[in-house]
Amino acid sequence: METHALTPALTAVWPRPPLRLLAWEQAVLPAGRVTGWFRTPMLSDRDTDPAQLIAAIATRRDQAAFASLFGFYAPRIKGFLMRTGTAAELAEEIAQEAMLSVWRKAATFDAARASVSTWIYTIARNLRIDRLRHDRGGANADAVYESLRSDESERPDDTLEWAERDDCARRVLRELPDEQVTVVRLSFFEDKAHGEIARLLGIPLGTVKSRLRLAMAKLRARLDELS
Amino acid sequence: MTIVHHPSEVTLAAFAAGTLDEGHALVIGTHLFTCPACRSAVRSFEHLRGVALADGEGVALKADALSRALAAIASAEPAPVPPRGGAQAEWAGPLSSYPLGQWRRIGGGVQWRSVGVPAGEGTRVFMLKAAPGTRIPHHAHAGLESTCVLQGAFSHQQGRYGPGDFDEADDTIDHLPVVEDGVECVCLVAVQGQIRFKSWIGRMVQPFVGL
Repeated sequence: METHALTPALTAVWPRPPLRLLAWEQAVLPAGRVTGWFRTPMLSDRDTDPAQLIAAIATRRDQAAFASLFGFYAPRIKGFLMRTGTAAELAEEIAQEAMLSVWRKAATFDAARASVSTWIYTIARNLRIDRLRHDRGGANADAVYESLRSDESERPDDTLEWAERDDCARRVLRELPDEQVTVVRLSFFEDKAHGEIARLLGIPLGTVKSRLRLAMAKLRARLDELS
Repeated sequence: MTIVHHPSEVTLAAFAAGTLDEGHALVIGTHLFTCPACRSAVRSFEHLRGVALADGEGVALKADALSRALAAIASAEPAPVPPRGGAQAEWAGPLSSYPLGQWRRIGGGVQWRSVGVPAGEGTRVFMLKAAPGTRIPHHAHAGLESTCVLQGAFSHQQGRYGPGDFDEADDTIDHLPVVEDGVECVCLVAVQGQIRFKSWIGRMVQPFVGL
């Protein structure tokens, strides 16, 4: 699992990859091998927009488009889930299920509401919630989150492309003071409990909470300005 | 409807991350259903997680992962579009996904009904209905307690809480809520389970939640 080299700068643990690289065929590396971002295959075609791949699935059940998306996203879903505390085996299953959902739900993807990465993130998140609730018979996470989707009037201003919004989000994170970035990384990007973060950093629980409160409020305010 | 009291950004981020327990997620979701500003914040936090997903390191799947996926999609049907908002349910929004029990009188002008959230995560969820003017003598919390007002209003030291307003409290807070005159007040409440509730809500509902 993760090591806790508590690098203050998020960039050190969350490198921003150059986009578009290898063909999807190279996605399939030996089982269990952790790839660096530079080796995780990117979408193959220089001009391929993942939203167009989703559209190709929605309109003509395009299996090659699906394979491209799978090569890019399936390992990332698995990696993301493992970083946020899911065991490798379950993370692999959810990554598979999430990609199957991408295929089945392609027609419901709305590029005005979310980027492809965000949409796929929410699919994986909901599947993980459902797996964790499975034995207890809780409500379907999709139903709960979908019930919050509402009118078109709330769509973000579409003068900004998603790629630009992504850059804005990374910039906003980099603007945070180092001590806040560290708690944001552990709490928001690795889903660690506040008490665990306090132990890892050797600071009081109250300090973790107040740093996180400040940081998340600042992130929200800055991201609001951008949308 | 003007919503004055909102969940904190930390709580909204946890909702976006899917890390809240089901009971608290339901109460937050019920607030979000009526609050465009907080929905927008949740979308921002989801976007951040989406960027992290795309930028983060991948972990290779098993060697036959893609071929299994291609075999699975060959026989997969498109997913039906899920219904939104549960318009025909008694309460729209996230609450429409949950079974609700019968109202039961628990004394002092207060009624209680169960909300069918499995208790496995240690949080109990219920609705309370209090008559106009009901005064609550003592209000000390045990664990984390989240409340969303569905109808009517109450007031305590932190202000007035009307429909859509969200109230979060823990054991450091001592409140003396009073239900406003005029309309019955209906609230959705999630309480982190303790062996023994200390709050007024807990004392009243304790006989019903099977602790």
